[in-house]
Order: sequence, then C-alpha cells, then structure tokens
Amino acid sequence: MRIKIIKYSVIFLFAVIVINLFYLQAIRGAYYYKLSAFNRIRVIPLQGWRGKIYDRNNTVLADNELSYNVLVIPQEIKNSLGLINFLSEALETDKKKLEDNYRRNKGRGDFVPVVIAESIKREQAIRIEEEKYLHPGLLVEESFRRFYPLGANSAHVLGYVGRTDRSRLAKFKDYGFSPQSITGYSGVEEYYDAYLKGEEGGLQVEINSAGEQVRLLGWKEPKKGQDIQLTIDAKLQSIIEESLFGINGSVVIMETDTGEVLGLTNNPSFDPNIFIDSKRSKEKVTLLNDVKSPLINRAISAAYPPGSAFKVPVALAGLERKKVSANTNFTCNGSLEKGGITFGCTHSHGPQNLLQAIAHSCNVYFYNLGIILGSDIIAHYAKMLGLGLHTHIDLPYEEPGNIPSRRETIFKQKKWYTGNTINMSIGQGDVLSTPVQLVKMMAIVANEGKIVQPHVIKSIGEIVDSRFKSFQRILINRSVFEAMNKSLRATVTEFSGTAHVAAIDNLFVAGKTGTAQTGSKSEPHAWFVGYARGTKRNITFCVFLEFGGSSQNACLLARQIMLKMRENGLL
Amino acid sequence: MDRNNWIKIWFYVLAIIVFGLAALYSASYENIRVSRQVFFDQLHFCLLGIFLMFFLGRIDYRKFYDAAYIFYFINLLLLLFVLFSGRHILGARRWIEVGVLNFQPSEIAKLSLILVLARYFTSRKPFLIFSVFSMIRGICIDFLVPLFITGVYMLLIYAQPDLGTALLLFGVLFAMLFVSGIDGRYIGFFSLLFSAAILLCFFWEPLSDHVLKPYQKDRLLVFLNPNRDPLGAGYTIIQSKIAVGSGQIFGKGWLSGTQNQLNFLPERHTDFIFSVIGEEWGLIGALILLFLYLRLILVCLNIAENIRERFGILLSSGITAILALQVVINIGMVIGLFPIVGITLPLVSYGRSSFLVFMIFMGFMLNLSRKRSIF
Repeated sequence: MRIKIIKYSVIFLFAVIVINLFYLQAIRGAYYYKLSAFNRIRVIPLQGWRGKIYDRNNTVLADNELSYNVLVIPQEIKNSLGLINFLSEALETDKKKLEDNYRRNKGRGDFVPVVIAESIKREQAIRIEEEKYLHPGLLVEESFRRFYPLGANSAHVLGYVGRTDRSRLAKFKDYGFSPQSITGYSGVEEYYDAYLKGEEGGLQVEINSAGEQVRLLGWKEPKKGQDIQLTIDAKLQSIIEESLFGINGSVVIMETDTGEVLGLTNNPSFDPNIFIDSKRSKEKVTLLNDVKSPLINRAISAAYPPGSAFKVPVALAGLERKKVSANTNFTCNGSLEKGGITFGCTHSHGPQNLLQAIAHSCNVYFYNLGIILGSDIIAHYAKMLGLGLHTHIDLPYEEPGNIPSRRETIFKQKKWYTGNTINMSIGQGDVLSTPVQLVKMMAIVANEGKIVQPHVIKSIGEIVDSRFKSFQRILINRSVFEAMNKSLRATVTEFSGTAHVAAIDNLFVAGKTGTAQTGSKSEPHAWFVGYARGTKRNITFCVFLEFGGSSQNACLLARQIMLKMRENGLL
Repeated sequence: MDRNNWIKIWFYVLAIIVFGLAALYSASYENIRVSRQVFFDQLHFCLLGIFLMFFLGRIDYRKFYDAAYIFYFINLLLLLFVLFSGRHILGARRWIEVGVLNFQPSEIAKLSLILVLARYFTSRKPFLIFSVFSMIRGICIDFLVPLFITGVYMLLIYAQPDLGTALLLFGVLFAMLFVSGIDGRYIGFFSLLFSAAILLCFFWEPLSDHVLKPYQKDRLLVFLNPNRDPLGAGYTIIQSKIAVGSGQIFGKGWLSGTQNQLNFLPERHTDFIFSVIGEEWGLIGALILLFLYLRLILVCLNIAENIRERFGILLSSGITAILALQVVINIGMVIGLFPIVGITLPLVSYGRSSFLVFMIFMGFMLNLSRKRSIF
C-alpha cells in the first residue's frame, strides 16, 4: 500500500539527516569545536563610504577622508600593561585617557573589538601595524571619517554624524545598525540617513591562537552611500553668516516659485567637524552645554510670536470673508479700549484703510478687524497659509508652532476672552510660528495662492527629487491676494511704511515687519518677512532676530543681504 | 492496539515537548537577545496545547468533515486580512492581532488545507485511465481542482512573504494525492512538472526576479555557497553549522553552549532551536530527538494503515506528511542541507500558532487511533 511507501521514504529522509549529523558532529566535530570554543571566527567590519553632500552649484559641503582607528580585542590581550604602555608611547597620549576610552567603549562579550583611539595619524598607524605582532589583540582599522570643508557653513541644514547612540540602536537594530556604525544626527544627515549611509561590509576570517589570520571565510564588499545635492547655495549661506555675525537670529531665503530653500542660517551656529574629531571633545562638551543652544535649528525648531507679521493672514481672512474691503476705514486714536483694558498702538494713525494699516502696521485697525472676524476664522485662515502646522520641510525636528482659537480653548475647558482675540490679531498671545512657516506663508501670498513646499533636497544620487514639483492652490480669491500684495509693496515703497529702510533701487521688494513683545524686560523679537523679484530669480525671505529690538534692524539686515546677493549675481 | 497507540502518541508528544522546553530554557538563559519570557510563554502554550489535544481526542474527527469547507473559507478570509492589515515582524506580514489574541493564519492554513483536501479526495474516487477522455477528466478533477484549492493558499502565503510554508503546503498536497490512490502516471507527471516549475522559478533569471524577493534569492544562492554573504544570510548557516558541529558526540552540556550563549545565532529560539539542541546535547541528544520524531511519525502511519475509512486515512496521512516534512526540512536547514526557509521544528520551536496547530493535529491523531470502523 502507498502508506508503506511513505513510511520508507520518511525513514530514508531521516537516515539522510542522521548521516549528515554524524558527519557534522562526529567526524568534523573537532574542527567546529575548535572554531566555536576559541571563537576563532572574527568579523572585521568595513565601513561603507558615506554619500557626499553638494550644494546647488556642486560645492562639496560634506566629504569623507581616510582615517585610522586603534581597536583591541579584550579576550586576546596577554599583557595589558605592556599594551597600554606601547600604545600611549606610540600615540603620544595619556595612559589614563586610553583606559578611559577602553572602559567607555567596552561592549558585552570579550570578543567584541573595542575602539581605544580614533583617527590617529598615518605614521602612527603604520608604526602600530608594524609592532602589532608583539601585542596580541591589537587591531588597526582603516575607516572613513566625515569632513565638512566649509566648517560652520550650513551646519544646521547639514547636521552632523556620530556613532549610533542607544536609543537609535534600539530603533534601527533590525536594519543592521551596530554601535560602531555612523549615523546622522539632525539636518540632512539625519533626514536622508538611509540614502547617505553606505552598506557596511566586512571580512569574516578564521584566526589562530596567536591572533593571526589563518584563512578568509568570506568577504562582503562595503557599498558606497548615495550622493545628495541640496538646493542650498553655499555662497549665499556665507553671505548670511557674515551679516548675522554677532546677532542672534535666523535667516531663511527660498525661491518663491519652486520652494527651493537657498539659504537657511542661524546664529549661534556650530562647526559639525567638532563631533567627528575625538581630539575636539572638549569643544563638543562646551557646545552641548552652551546656554544659547547653538545646536538648535531655530529656523524650523523654535517657535516665536510672529507679532505684526501675523497681520497678513488676518487681513486675508477679512478680505476673503468680505468683512472689510480694501477701502474700509477704521480710525486709530492710538489705542483701543475693550473690557476695561487698553490695547495700544505705536502712535495715533488716524483713519486707516487696509493698505495704510498694513504699511503702517496699525494695531487698532487689526484689533477692530480681529473682533469682527473672531478668532476661529483667523485661525482657519492662518492654518490655511500653513501657520501652526508643520511645513514638512525635509529636515528633522520641525516644530509646528501654535495657532490658538476660541473653539479649541473652550474645548480644553479654558476661558477665551475678546482680549485674547485682540492679542491674537496682532500675532501676540499664544500665537507661535517658526521662521520657515512665515516664509512659506509669504511665498503663498507672493504666488497669489500657489502653495509651495519648502525643501532643501535637489537630487539623490542620479535621481532628481520630484516630490515637490507639483503645486496645489489655496482656496482664496486671487483678487484678495492682489490687494494684499499691493499693501505689502506699499510697506516698503511708502515713505511712512514700516519697512521703508529695506527699499532697494531697481528691485521689487515687498514684505511685512513684525516686532513681537516678549515681556516687559527683554527686547522684542524683530521680524521682516517678504519677497523680492530679482532679474535672476524671485525670492521669499524671512529675517528673524531673537530679542533683536525694533523691526527696523531686521529690515536693514534683509537689505544688506539682498544687496550682497545682487552683487554676487544671486538675485 | 487501540489503547496502545493512544498511549504511544501521548508519550512521544510529551517527551518531545519536554525536550523542546529544556532547549528553549537554555536558549533564553541569561540572554539579552531572547528574553526569559519566551520560555514562560511557551510553557503556557504547552498547558493550553495539552488541554486542546486532550479535548480534540474526544471529539469525533468526522464532525470536521462537514466543517471542512467552512474552515477553508474562514481561513481564506483571514489570510486575505493578514495580507492587507497584518502586523509586520521581521519584514513579513504574517500575524493577526485581535486583542490579546495574535496568531499566524498561515499556520492554521495547514490545518484547514488538510481537512479540505481530505474531504475532497474522500468524496471522489480517483478515475482510472481507460482512454484519452478519461485521462483528461482525471487530470481535471483529480489533479487540477486540488491544485487550485492548494494554490490559492499558496499564493496568499507566498505573498506575505513566506515561501517556506507555501512550498510545504505543496508537499502536503503531493502526499495526499499520493495516498488518495491517484494513478501512478499522474504522480510521475506531477513531480516532473513541479520540479521543472521550481527550477524555472528559481534559476531562470527573468522569472526568478519576479518570483523571489531579493532576500529569498540571497538565501538560495547563499545555500549553494555560504561564503557568498558571510555577514548576512550566509552568517546564519555558517554559525548554525558551527553550533551543531561543535556539539560533537556528547555535547557541551545543558546551558553551556558557547555559540548559543554568546549570541552568535539569530532566531535560535524559533527556527534554529535545533542548533541549540545539537550544540548542547551533541549527536546523542540530536539522535534521541530524531528517534522520538521518527517513532511518532511511524505510530501515526500505523494508525493511518489501520483505518478503513477514506477520510480518516487521508486526514492522518496529511497530518503525518506535514509533521515529517517540517522535521526534515527544519533540521536539514539547520545543518545546511536545505536553504533557509521559515519553517519551525514541530512542538519544539517557540511560536504559539505553530505549536498549537501541531497539538491540534496530535489531538486528531488521538481520535483517529480510537476509531476502528466506520459504523
């Protein structure tokens, strides 16, 4: 019967397995035992070359250079004292420092190589390599080190790299991350890490008890990561960096039509090379402990009250909802009283229509408009323009900011007063936004409703990134934007306009200033958000000065940058 | 005889389970990669499984004859569901989570498939070949319909992607076709077709690029030459061979396998549990386990031989086939005889769905050992 046949085939299959087991365990057993008992298989990792980062003109922003690391394998050390003495002499460093490194980097298991000194000189590496045989357990590893030729230029856009930390290791273990592998932190290095990261390769070798390689069991070629080209212009970045020297703040400059970010610079900034060079660890510690927190990319990860710059969405809401027309007048007597509280204005403007109110940044006009609109409608339009929401710029750790509204506040069981609405309509109170959000907002206005997505990536490897090439339109009437743009232009051209100092001959500049109160004692934040139409390209910019005083300072800085851009043929 | 088989099944199953628990305890012993929880989890499944087996041993297996198609369709829906909304583990989508219950429909598919094939073959007597016409009818009804029934499951499981289980179902179909009494010429034709298809799918470049995922292809090529990718897929084979081989004849002793304890082996509590057994208990331990499996399989085949009713024969031979195939493939893969496919070692590997399904199978076998006649 057929079941008999099955019976015999099962017995046959089992016999095959038994024979193989016998061969593996009884005949070859001693060999495998040797391999396992002394752990005679060593995996020597080979770093993949991390992709380079270029700016839009193919200037190298992040490169790799060859470096040498010294590693020891704990279980194979015979004479630890001699080893340390030899190393400290060869590397001209403290014994204590080497011991510290050893203790800090030692992983689980005595067979895992421990990094004891990083990026040593070539001559030192050769010397150690030559005398290695005297000290079993010693290894010199050749690896690539990240190198940022332009130093602090574009530091916040680029980010920096380092060994994988514990939290990332837990998250990415399945993707082959080891504590030794290099990972990007913040900026493009983190956001596009998966593309930049090369594939780790390695050698698997069998070694004898003296630590010498007996045979190569296998080899996997490390793979190079992909090069990335950014929309950033390194030249522009250094212009901004120069202008911002000594001033805290951030400047974002974006192409109005495409959303390509040309410049994004914050001050205080940092030199990403500090994180790679182990000799500069002191600088690293000061950097991490700096109260000014230079590592924070203020342009996207810090939200501030936008002040009068927020009048743009309020005015748009008023026009779109037909609560006011371009000719509606409100009279400014220097203040508005509501509920027993006086809300002030800079000075008494007299009767103001929309164009004048924006050009002069009259608060009373917007108090009145805000009360008519109500906070819910203001919040709706502000969010339509991208405020209080992530802009989804391709950089990590973006802050959404905050747009309060009556509805949400009541939903949270808190009270909302008309005073809150009044504060909100001039961008004070709980209104918070990031510089990049305001740039996006201004670009939508300048484009008369076309939504652009701020981004810093141009191409990955050979592939040109086309994610940001399709545009949607915002649901606001085009005539509203026309009126708005006229007002923004007047802010710069009118002699009494708040941004008149930013006017440049033969250049179309429009924008809105903002002076955001930050409490009674400290200086206000200074904003200037606007756009310019140059011969080369149209740009939208945001100049933000942290505790920078009057908005005039921001206007002057913007003018300075734009003049230099024109000089260098960037505008 | 009756009572005898009943006791034998219980004895071998429990012995294998105890063996497995001891190995699992060692695999999760003071280990950072595999938590202690693994062992206790398995202990819980064991109690649940023993209860299930006992319970099913008392239910007439013929009741499942009526429910076979219903099981098949419910399982089909589950497989579809898991494909679109299942939980990802290790890059594959195999699990369904319903509250505290999470399970792999692809494991339960083995059960449903055996039931439905057994019913199908029971309800039809195989055609004898008299003429060309009868041959065509025979091919259609005896051969293409079961192939379709299995193929639907295979495709869905293959898409998860779980090539191992998909091919395993094919093996079950083959065994049950064989037992159903189909003409030997079909079997020959069938095996030829199957091996041709496999060879084409795997080794003919234009097709293999579509059929196999890059990692599956890697595994296959690595099987042919483990040193091709020594840090990736080949690493597992090399390390697992070292583990088993280094156990030598008497093993390194319980809880003292260095390969295992030093985290050289990935997946050692599930698919590679045999490497722990081989390393710590050596050839002796491995042979004992193999002996237990072989005895269990032979007892099952004995039962199959003594049943006079078609459904029972088919059911028991399907169960035996899947048990034998999994044991052989899993151990073969650990010692480098087969490419690495995600197939568990029955009753030993950690994994709730796989374990419980085999306990259900054994419950069926208990019940099958009771029935001596149809009426």
